[in-house]
Amino acid sequence: MEILMKHVSLTYPGGRQALKDISLTLRSPGLIGLLGPNGAGKSTLMKLLTASLLPSSGTILADGQPLEVCERRLKSCLGCLPQEFGLFDELTVCQFLDYMAALKGLSGQKDAVGKAISAVRLEEKAKSRISSLSGGQRQRVGIAQALLGESSFLIFDEPTAGLDPEERAQFRNQFSRLAKDRLVLLSTHIIEDIQAVCSQLVVLCRGQILFWGTPEELIRTVSPGNLSEDAVPTGKASADTVPRGNSPLEDAYLTLISREGGR
Amino acid sequence: MKNICALIALEWGRLLKRPSVRLIFFLTVCSPAFGLFLYCPATADTMLSKYLANPALAGGAIGGILFGLLTIRERGREKRCGVNTLIDGIIPPSSMAFIRTAALFLTAFPVLLGTMAFWLPVSRFLIGSVFDIRDFLLSYVLFMGSAIFLAVLASASAFQIGGRADLALALFGIFAGLSLTLWSENWQLCWLNPCVWALSDDFSNLRIFRSAAYMRLTWAAGLAGLWLLSCPAVRRRRRIPFLSKIPSQAGTGFSVRRQVLRPAAALILFLISACAWAGQPFVDHSNPDQSISAFDQIPLEQGLTCSRRLVRLSPDTKRGTVTGTAVYQFQNTSGKPRTAAFGINPGYTIFSARVNGVPVPASVRDYQEFNEALLEVTLPGDSQMELTLEYGGFPREDQSLSTMQGSAEISGEYLYLANADLAPRLINAEPDSGVLPVTVEITLPEHMTVIPFGSPQAEIISQNPGGTLTWQYEDEGTGGILYAGDYIRQDIEAAGITVEFYYGRNHETVMEEAGAANAIRAVIQYCTDHYGPLSFLSGNTLKLIQSRVSGGGYAGGGASLLDEADFTIASLRDTSKGSVPGEVMIHELVHQWWGLSSMFEADGAWSAEGLTVYTTYRIVKELYGAEYAERRYVDQWKREMEDYYSNFYVRNPEFFQRLPEAKRLEITNRLSRVRQYCEMPLKILKAEQLAGGETAMDQILSRLFCREPSWEEPYLTYEMFLNACGLTEEDINLE
Repeated sequence: MEILMKHVSLTYPGGRQALKDISLTLRSPGLIGLLGPNGAGKSTLMKLLTASLLPSSGTILADGQPLEVCERRLKSCLGCLPQEFGLFDELTVCQFLDYMAALKGLSGQKDAVGKAISAVRLEEKAKSRISSLSGGQRQRVGIAQALLGESSFLIFDEPTAGLDPEERAQFRNQFSRLAKDRLVLLSTHIIEDIQAVCSQLVVLCRGQILFWGTPEELIRTVSPGNLSEDAVPTGKASADTVPRGNSPLEDAYLTLISREGGR
Repeated sequence: MKNICALIALEWGRLLKRPSVRLIFFLTVCSPAFGLFLYCPATADTMLSKYLANPALAGGAIGGILFGLLTIRERGREKRCGVNTLIDGIIPPSSMAFIRTAALFLTAFPVLLGTMAFWLPVSRFLIGSVFDIRDFLLSYVLFMGSAIFLAVLASASAFQIGGRADLALALFGIFAGLSLTLWSENWQLCWLNPCVWALSDDFSNLRIFRSAAYMRLTWAAGLAGLWLLSCPAVRRRRRIPFLSKIPSQAGTGFSVRRQVLRPAAALILFLISACAWAGQPFVDHSNPDQSISAFDQIPLEQGLTCSRRLVRLSPDTKRGTVTGTAVYQFQNTSGKPRTAAFGINPGYTIFSARVNGVPVPASVRDYQEFNEALLEVTLPGDSQMELTLEYGGFPREDQSLSTMQGSAEISGEYLYLANADLAPRLINAEPDSGVLPVTVEITLPEHMTVIPFGSPQAEIISQNPGGTLTWQYEDEGTGGILYAGDYIRQDIEAAGITVEFYYGRNHETVMEEAGAANAIRAVIQYCTDHYGPLSFLSGNTLKLIQSRVSGGGYAGGGASLLDEADFTIASLRDTSKGSVPGEVMIHELVHQWWGLSSMFEADGAWSAEGLTVYTTYRIVKELYGAEYAERRYVDQWKREMEDYYSNFYVRNPEFFQRLPEAKRLEITNRLSRVRQYCEMPLKILKAEQLAGGETAMDQILSRLFCREPSWEEPYLTYEMFLNACGLTEEDINLE
């Protein structure tokens, strides 16, 4: 699976430009982290990749074919968890996943549902109505529906939001395992999640790509000692005022963002 | 495709589990009950109107609204709870929009079937022996089922256009509200509640079913186009098809479908809808001002006379169409070419016009009045000509009766053709010898009886292969009215005359049970005894014909037409009326004494109706008692007159003049009816009291009836009546 974005821009009907001239290649296998502050355009980018939105300009190719052409094929091998989603509260977890599996047209529907429930450790709640689930459990149902079947392209938008630290760690490991033979795109603003598992990193800010590479490259490129003179932030965000994170990657990310914020 | 079907079934299964869907299912199944009590747009008194059309129409209106709300609720709910963001990641939104709409369609099926299953025995019980399963199925499918499907389509489109449940609710509410209010009098606009004023018990209803189906299909095409056009909005708002830039990648078949094919398909559907709208074949475009009669102003062609007309008709009882040949014998003494003008039903096409076998120019003008279009045929200057016109088509009805369609029913059970529906009506050539003899031949299925209205008798002249018979009758004049149907004929002897009583086969048992023959006998005896024998019978016979429901009856020389609505099981079995059923039957029979031919010249409130209504009251009084007659007639007249005198426009005629012409016409017609049917009977009643009572009035009326009309005084005038009573107009003034 290869997703190629060429000079993609998207402007919302209100006139706000959410993405500006994005060019990006996503190749499987791999776990690609998408980082950026709130409003950077991460969710918009994800919606473009699921064809929920169409770009105002530019091209998105999936395995060499325009997304508009191969939308159905792409969706047949796509597992997706949007940042905001809802569930049919009147159904049980099992019924809901059955319904989603049927929508996906999975052949071994029962097995797939069983596997997905096990993967998110919701066996005990399988027969419970969704309305009775906690926020974290609902999030796990969302992840489970994305994991249904053997999707070769997985998109997770803030998947660990609402989960406790232990659950977050488990899912990180799961995403890492999944990424061994498929393409996983993980959007988050939790650096810890990215740092632990992502092979590649895309940093978005104000609709533009600030960085695209490995986490190590980000640290090398953006760490204060490696900043070139003209790259030194000016104005309110100087090297001395760059916020400090809990890890080198977070430091580098925050530096990069604050530098962009100073422009 | 298989996948889509599976997904529709999946979505359908999910919908059926929803409590709200079950509630709507239940409410929709119950909704026809409203048609029995509260929502009764079919005003005719036939059993099928009351117990089938109204429940089905109520089911359509209420079920349509319920399903519209359900559609918006379900579509809005998916968006509101956010599950669509998950589903959009699996199925393209436009595909899902189709699946959801199709699933809602599919949900309507079991609801419709459930409603029909529940109401079948109820309708059967209420309607009784005239219940017809075909009418039942067509009513529920066309009046109810199709309303639900249109409502789903409309509400789904409304949701897709705005993407918001509240906006969709407002749009759908306006759309449904318009149909139930402002559009309810326009048969093509009232998509939710078709204009069905009556269903016949005894004869077929194919014409009104066709009309409702046509209206619904017109809307279905338009709404399907709207749905298609609104579909891309599910994904991408404010991108207008055709104006959006088409992506330039190679192999953009899918884009082409979205950007071009879908809007193109929508455009085609809109065009189909618009063409169906404009080209509707049911109603003509007659001049709505019925005070204008331009065809009567066409001058006679000098030197052109017609000596005979032969009409051969072959109605297609399956398609409801007519094909015919009319042959006219012309004499032209002018030696010059003449233009013969004919009135022809606007639904007919002239296939050929030949004079003595040679084609001649014939054209139909656009202008129409009184359900006739003007056909002009250029005749050569020959002295003897035989004009042969071949014509045919689907007869149209007058647009002034567009909300009361169905009279031009042509089927294997019933046929009605009048004047220009039979054959082109000659306008501008005089008959050779005072009257124009006409021979009519009509070929119909063998179970149908042909009944020419008036004096002529139809006879079978040939039995054809394929189970048809050819009937022939001789008549006079330029027009004519022909009834045919699956009739039973019963000959009744009364007061020295023979009444040929024709009624629908469905009514055989009921007529026998109700003793209709005795009723007819009693009424004829009463009128003959009190006023004298009928002098204008055809060989001492009177045809009494039960017609398909038409809003009233009428009488002509030797024949009287009775609307089937007055012959319903309920009406004929109404024991509160005593042993003689059907007061309208009495009324129409009385017209044989008062109101035929040139007996009256309408002059304000004075017309045939005044004396007819008064006599009906007298007969009812004799049969059912004074108290009943007083309550049923006199009190009713008084109430109507009170309403009349308190009418704003009667009290303020200056405002009446300021109204639009159409409104003035409507009010004039309504008020004129009140004056004829209520004011005049009350005046005659007052005259009766002043003249010395009932016996004195009977003698006066008998003298007036038996008088010999003279050249100077051809009509029975109001003045004559007053003079006979020895009263003045002021004496019987009601105020």
